[in-house]
Amino acid sequence: MKAWKTIALSVAAVAVLAAIVVVPEWHLPVQGHELGWRASSMIQFDPAPAEAALLKRPPAAIPSWSHDPRPADVAYKNVQVLTNVDAGELMHTMAAMTQWVSPKQGCGFCHAGSDYASDAKPAKAVARLMLQMTRHINADWRDHVGAAGVTCFSCHQGQPIPSDVWFAAPPVRQHPMIGWQEDYHEDELTVRKFFPDEGYEEYLLQSTPGSSQSYTALPTHSGSSQVVVKRLYEVMMQMSDGIGVNCGYCHNSRAFFDWRQSTPARWTGYSGIQMTRDLNRNYLIKTGAILPQDRFRLDKAHEWNLAPDQAGTMPGNGLSNCATCHHGEPKPLGGANMVDAYPALIAPSPTAPAKVAAAAAPVPR
Amino acid sequence: MAQFHTLYNAVIVRGPDEAGIELPPGDFARVGTPLQVKLLGLIGELQVLPTYLGATGIMSLICGFIAFEIIGLNMWASEDWNFLRFIKMLPFLSLEPPPAKYGLDIFPPLQEGGWWLMAGFFLTVSLILWCVRMYRRAKAIGMGTHIAWCFASAIWLYLVLGFIRPLLMGCWCEAVPFGVISHLNWTATFSVRYGNLFYDPFHMLSIVFLYGSTMLFCMHAGTILAVARFGGERETHEIVDRGTSTERGALFWRWTMGFNATFESIHRWIFWFATLTTLCGGIGILLSGTVVDNWYLWGVKHGIAPEYPQVHQIPNAPPPEVVRNMQLKGPPPARLPEVPATLTPNAPAPGPAMSGINQ
Repeated sequence: MKAWKTIALSVAAVAVLAAIVVVPEWHLPVQGHELGWRASSMIQFDPAPAEAALLKRPPAAIPSWSHDPRPADVAYKNVQVLTNVDAGELMHTMAAMTQWVSPKQGCGFCHAGSDYASDAKPAKAVARLMLQMTRHINADWRDHVGAAGVTCFSCHQGQPIPSDVWFAAPPVRQHPMIGWQEDYHEDELTVRKFFPDEGYEEYLLQSTPGSSQSYTALPTHSGSSQVVVKRLYEVMMQMSDGIGVNCGYCHNSRAFFDWRQSTPARWTGYSGIQMTRDLNRNYLIKTGAILPQDRFRLDKAHEWNLAPDQAGTMPGNGLSNCATCHHGEPKPLGGANMVDAYPALIAPSPTAPAKVAAAAAPVPR
Repeated sequence: MAQFHTLYNAVIVRGPDEAGIELPPGDFARVGTPLQVKLLGLIGELQVLPTYLGATGIMSLICGFIAFEIIGLNMWASEDWNFLRFIKMLPFLSLEPPPAKYGLDIFPPLQEGGWWLMAGFFLTVSLILWCVRMYRRAKAIGMGTHIAWCFASAIWLYLVLGFIRPLLMGCWCEAVPFGVISHLNWTATFSVRYGNLFYDPFHMLSIVFLYGSTMLFCMHAGTILAVARFGGERETHEIVDRGTSTERGALFWRWTMGFNATFESIHRWIFWFATLTTLCGGIGILLSGTVVDNWYLWGVKHGIAPEYPQVHQIPNAPPPEVVRNMQLKGPPPARLPEVPATLTPNAPAPGPAMSGINQ
């Protein structure tokens, strides 16, 4: 009896141990790089080979086939943005945009039937705005995107709406007696994805100062309040998740505030925050005026690929954060050069902000 | 083979129920008829009840229940009384202290921290009454009051977090929310805000005592179990009347680490390690923000945090051209642009304006 019990227990123990080894999906070996002084724990891990194989890479550049030297706005009617390129390059860019944004829906996603000059579809006004945004990024945000630049594919990756967008919170229904709860993403699987979107609004739309820690050992009121730091902490976690890094990629976690102990990547990240604010304020928020309806009015005609948390009644197609373009990689799409093959996607620098604002106004039907 | 039966054997000693000593006049009666539970007998004493609640115990339970209900019902109500949602969201739900604008106001609106203040008040009363009850019961039995003091040390940390430090900082908003994830977030951000709590010497002490407690706990419990076969479970008796289990336990530690505690002093070691964990932790929290604002810089100042060679030569201030490029154009958006009537003549009303943008 006792021997039988011992055998059964041993078998159960071995089975449990075997399950612990066999059941989880292992991504080994994990390769890490030390980014700071030794033992400062500033370590960046490479994706395991199996994970790396799943990462998206940009499609091969489409060769420029049409050599029409006429200025685009002479050859075609109603050209408002790509006025500095020739007609051949305009066609080249249009073909690439279709492949990047609406490969299933084709030209008809933005253009009304055969009348390519028509502004009947609101999606065309959005496309114009997004084209201006892309040209602005490639011309004026070299601090962040470097020589690689961005194209529509950087964010869209073949879908009409990028997979990672966020919406400003709708008004909270405040019960007269009961407090308000944070809007956690409770269906997500990792801690960093749990955090609510409120911080995006404060740091990626508003100019909330990012300082949290004091620059002095003793209190001089130079740090932020505990409540402010909570949001900043969440946003930093979301940022790390969006670009697939740990805190130590930019900061020495023993002194987050200290630039001297940080890595150069912190400058890139800092400019990225400024850039995202600029894009959200000056471009993406305006899509709400062009697409004021519940987005599904437009969506139903097409095959959209929406995550459940993107469903909602917010106007527009959402705002951007780090993950919108980075998709969990420190350098989007492995740092591939995006823009060299598409000269039309670089605006004559610098883009005058006033001109951007005027051109972004919705076009009458 | 003959065995010396001790408490550590799986032998359950059955006997007549223990009714307890006579209570002094004026005390409440004990509650509950004794019953014998075999399962509990396997891990402890066979007999359950009677218990003594007394005035403090009853008041403590009532106050604790009120606090529990305020927190629970707030959370349930915030999920529209949907019980399944309430259970699913339980780790995320939180009862938050009043926002900064109310300072130390003790009557903020209910939905903005009023419930939190009430829950905190009743929970505090409940804990303190329970501590008083432990003190008084110990006195009634003629025991020392060590346990009440140890519990008081934990209450000290609780009061620092939720009451004393917020008072000194002039804002209830500095206190910890009631909630699983929300209090964890509070803890993480507290450390970040005050420049890394690991450089706080009282936090260091608290960790030493916490880990030390677990180590001493294991050393002592292991020793007693190991000498139980020689009657070692009678350890308190052997404090004054050293028997072979005492000698063997002492010998073991003297031989393995050169020094041994006595059967008496080991209990003082563990008592003080456990008590000092929360006592030091409370001091460490109390000093953060009131006396020290950045523990890392404080550590640099006092030679705790070493300087490491600079690996990346990046300047301490942004290069001017970087700053110039990063200047944002225009003020932040007040709210969503108005929808021109010409654009969507037949469209339904525009979506809700984005909240919080003009806050």
